[in-house]
Amino acid sequence: MLLVLSAEHRAHLGCLPRAGGAGKLDIGVDTIQRGVEGLTYLLTESSKLMISEIDFQDSIHVLGFSDELNKSLLQLYLDNRKEIRSILGELAPRLPSYHNLEWRLDVQLASRSLRQQIKPAVTMKLYLNQNEDQTAQVLQTDPATLLHLIQQLEQALGEMKTNHCRRIVRNMK
Amino acid sequence: MRFRFCGDLDCPDWVLAEISTLAKISSVKLKLICAQVLRDLLGEPMEYEKILKLTSDAKLESGDVKATIAVLGFILSSAAKHNVDSESLSSELQQLGLPKEHASGLCRSYEEKQSSLQDSLRACSLRLSQLGLVRWRVDYTLSSSELQEVNEPLVHLTFNVQNRECGRTTAVSMTVSADKFRVLLAELKQAQTLMNTLL
Repeated sequence: MLLVLSAEHRAHLGCLPRAGGAGKLDIGVDTIQRGVEGLTYLLTESSKLMISEIDFQDSIHVLGFSDELNKSLLQLYLDNRKEIRSILGELAPRLPSYHNLEWRLDVQLASRSLRQQIKPAVTMKLYLNQNEDQTAQVLQTDPATLLHLIQQLEQALGEMKTNHCRRIVRNMK
Repeated sequence: MRFRFCGDLDCPDWVLAEISTLAKISSVKLKLICAQVLRDLLGEPMEYEKILKLTSDAKLESGDVKATIAVLGFILSSAAKHNVDSESLSSELQQLGLPKEHASGLCRSYEEKQSSLQDSLRACSLRLSQLGLVRWRVDYTLSSSELQEVNEPLVHLTFNVQNRECGRTTAVSMTVSADKFRVLLAELKQAQTLMNTLL
């Protein structure tokens, strides 16, 4: 798969061979910034699409750089591809995920309105993680609802053992 | 196989795997490492350098040292959680492959600190909020814009409520008239009597 570089992108990258180092002040800050941004975009797009070596080489060929520069760009891409991909992977939006569950079993014996009761209840504190934020949710349930909850979760786990799920998991591996 | 110290469930695979690491350390040193792990479980600072020194003879890597601390922490806190006595714990650990001297050393450390451990676990059980200080003041209202002679007592109450996880204290203030306050006090005294019958 070839990476198509827009004309603007090509112009930004075109200034790179002439730029050299930070000492060359006659180039101008803007040009250097655009050059750096162009290079960043080139690397992230290539890593995102997991372009092969040959395709990368062909894609940057249009820029008309020297062979030596092409080779060093390719090496840069190959060396940093894995790390760039892992960073890009973490940018995807995330739902709150399970962190911890604390629970407590109580029995209500009396209240202001009624004495001589026996009412068991399970109090839970569910800790969730979302993008480094931790939230806690307090829940309370009676034993019957808790049994129902457990049953539903066990059914959900059991789904993984059905033929349908097994076929999909096998094909993904 | 079901183990009492695992809450009548199977022993977790990682615990089983680390038992062999524990056997590499001498039983005397294991007892000292247990003492450090117990300090950490009871909320006191653990001296990690001492543990490193004790495990240096067995030539454990840093990952193995951390695994040792983790498995000892699990065994001790889980045994305390399920109220397992020290002989049963010793026999169950031997069933898992821990040598007899190691098991008895571990269980002797456990026995000494079992009740403190259980107290500490009880204290950190789930609790939503906790009442801190109660402050009060009794005023006497002489007069107001509505009525020239009021002549009524008024109670100002402030409850300091501590939020358990962030340790922040919120102050809840209220004013209560004399009659309402009498009702509140009577109800709370009834609740206290009920609580005392359970203790």
